[in-house]
Amino acid sequence: MGALQQSKCGRAWDRMTSVPSLLLIEDDDAIRTALELSLTRQGHRVATAATGEDGLKLLGEQRPDLIVLDVMLPGIDGFEVCRRIRRTDQLPIILLTARSDDIDVVVGLESGADDYVVKPVQGRVLDARIRAVLRRGEREANDAATFGSLVIDRAAMTVTKNGEDLQLTPTELRLLLELSRRPGQALSRQQLLRLVWEHDYLGDSRLVDACVQRLRAKVEDVPSSPTLIRTVRGVGYRLDTPQ
Amino acid sequence: MTKPQDKLRGLPAARKALLAGLRFTSLRLRLVVVFGLVALTAAVSASGIAYWLNREAVLTRAQDAALKDFRQQMQTRAGALRADATQEELQAAAGQMANSSQGYSVLLVAEKKGGGRIVGYSDLDAFTLAKVPGSLQKAVLKKQELTSGNDSPYHLYWQRTVDHGTPYLVGGATVIGGGPTGYMLKSLEPEAKDLSSLGWSLAIATALALIGSALLAQAAATTVLKPVHRLGVAARRLGEGKLDTRLRVSGTDELADLSRTFNRTAENLEKKVADMSARDEASRRFVADMSHELRTPLTAITAVTEVLEEELDAETGSVDPMIEPAVRLVVSETRRLGDLVENLMEVTRFDAGTARLVLDDVDIADQITACIDARAWLDAVELDAERGITARLDPRRLDVILANLIGNALKHGGSPVEVSVRLEDAKLVISVRDHGPGIPEDVLPHVFDRFYKASASRPRSEGSGLGLSIALENAHIHGGDISAANCPDGGAVFTLWLPCESESEVGCQATEVPAEGGQA
Repeated sequence: MGALQQSKCGRAWDRMTSVPSLLLIEDDDAIRTALELSLTRQGHRVATAATGEDGLKLLGEQRPDLIVLDVMLPGIDGFEVCRRIRRTDQLPIILLTARSDDIDVVVGLESGADDYVVKPVQGRVLDARIRAVLRRGEREANDAATFGSLVIDRAAMTVTKNGEDLQLTPTELRLLLELSRRPGQALSRQQLLRLVWEHDYLGDSRLVDACVQRLRAKVEDVPSSPTLIRTVRGVGYRLDTPQ
Repeated sequence: MTKPQDKLRGLPAARKALLAGLRFTSLRLRLVVVFGLVALTAAVSASGIAYWLNREAVLTRAQDAALKDFRQQMQTRAGALRADATQEELQAAAGQMANSSQGYSVLLVAEKKGGGRIVGYSDLDAFTLAKVPGSLQKAVLKKQELTSGNDSPYHLYWQRTVDHGTPYLVGGATVIGGGPTGYMLKSLEPEAKDLSSLGWSLAIATALALIGSALLAQAAATTVLKPVHRLGVAARRLGEGKLDTRLRVSGTDELADLSRTFNRTAENLEKKVADMSARDEASRRFVADMSHELRTPLTAITAVTEVLEEELDAETGSVDPMIEPAVRLVVSETRRLGDLVENLMEVTRFDAGTARLVLDDVDIADQITACIDARAWLDAVELDAERGITARLDPRRLDVILANLIGNALKHGGSPVEVSVRLEDAKLVISVRDHGPGIPEDVLPHVFDRFYKASASRPRSEGSGLGLSIALENAHIHGGDISAANCPDGGAVFTLWLPCESESEVGCQATEVPAEGGQA
């Protein structure tokens, strides 16, 4: 189980400069096989693991671009896997939740997932989410912006605070970039969902809230009383230059 | 904060309780009245009898003593007079007679020979012949037949009179064998005074008995009404669904029996309800578990059917034309099955009460446009909504409601479907109207029922049979509602109300459209 498989499908190759490699951690054989089949046809290289432990081991051997993680796993569950990965790595993670029960979603987002998809998932939807997450790491502009002690280098795609590099996930980085592009202007959760997550009009605003919490924990001096990323009641969030 | 409210609420309640206490049909009042009547009857009859007996005894004693004395005086003084006594002699005898211990006035009348009469009196101011009733004079002067039962021709007669409010005893006798006729007048005022004070004390005793009976009635009513009141409170609590309500049983009377019966009933009811809800819970659990279990294979199948679908759509024609319809059927039915399981999951979440709102500020017009755009209904729907109405609600749930209502209208009424949005009394009102045949009257009450089919023979429809029910649940979780009706000029109209108090968590407002500066 679990060697990285080379995609045999060539259709997507024309569009992509490099083939994204995914790690799919899913315990149910049928779903694993079916999703592997579907994602491979969409043009991804897919490695699979049946348990969280196997997934973490595989992650140490070969680094994928993105992880698709089932929540309900035997042994350590998806949330725990997510937390363990986040301790050392900023890899994008998409959760595959069998239940769209709200508590699952909230716990998943708190444990550091970038996005989530509810089963039964359509391959196309999952593919679109994967591509959206992967796009977040792409560079676009060549300038820098400074917010107090925070320096955002858009060319290098790095963020430093007091000269120290901050470890941000691509989603956190993208959120910060979108906010920093419009300093002092409030962006609604729906706007941020479209800009950062590329979700349609039904995006889940809790994605934004959870990501803002994680970002604040990294960039703010005192995360509980933020001075950079401010909440605008009834609207959304805004990036301010501290006085 | 709560205290003044309690007080405010307490005042009308107290007044109501007071009114209920005073109501003529109330048990308390009836008890007081009955007790009062019994006490009154008993007291009045007892005092009446006592008064009457006392009165007779007192008057008879005074009268007997006076008459006995008068008789003696007549015999000794008037009988001793000569037959032709002068007025002075009569006067002197009357004065002597009146001097006795009994304190009466005396009048002595003697016939003069050759007509006319002379009168001797003890006290002319108090007693004249005018005060002696004529009937008494006649009786005294009348000569009786002598028989075996009657041994004297003249008798002593008496009569009670009232003069200027004072009771008097008037007696008269004549000396047998010729002599003056004597009358006596005795005031019965002291006796009357005694009797009136007796009457007063009896009246006071009666009044005291009445008051006592009222107090007793209150006490009795309280002892009866308190358990009845407790029973009433307990019954009300039971009716409100607090099935663990029990009464403390004390004593062995009928009310205690009733309390025991109440407790037994409540216990049975609680057990039965618990049984039923356990069974209900089990069946819901089953549906929830089943849809969960269905989901896992469905996820696998859904992922694979897309692969099949792509093969069908590919121009290479890699699918055997013979099995192409089979593949298409599998693809489309898998999608249906997926929708059905999705809806079942949604319904079980509502039933289990685990459905939660994920609130966000939503521009209603944008949301509706996005909803119909995403389903390629833009050409079939006429939207009448002013931009800038924003509401705080769950956008996914609003989308579910709208998709179900508009989808339903398109299915049954065809295009165009009219959707209008307006604010009405702090409520967001969205109405969806079609121009179809409308909803039959007998179906109208059931349109929101789960799996309700207009007629048993009707072929199964495209939908899962849960759409409108889910739409309604989604409206309810927002604190809103959906109603279905037929338009007078044809077509069905579904109206969605969502609350929008600006202070509450779910709120909405009409604002200027904010500038979306810099957005790509």
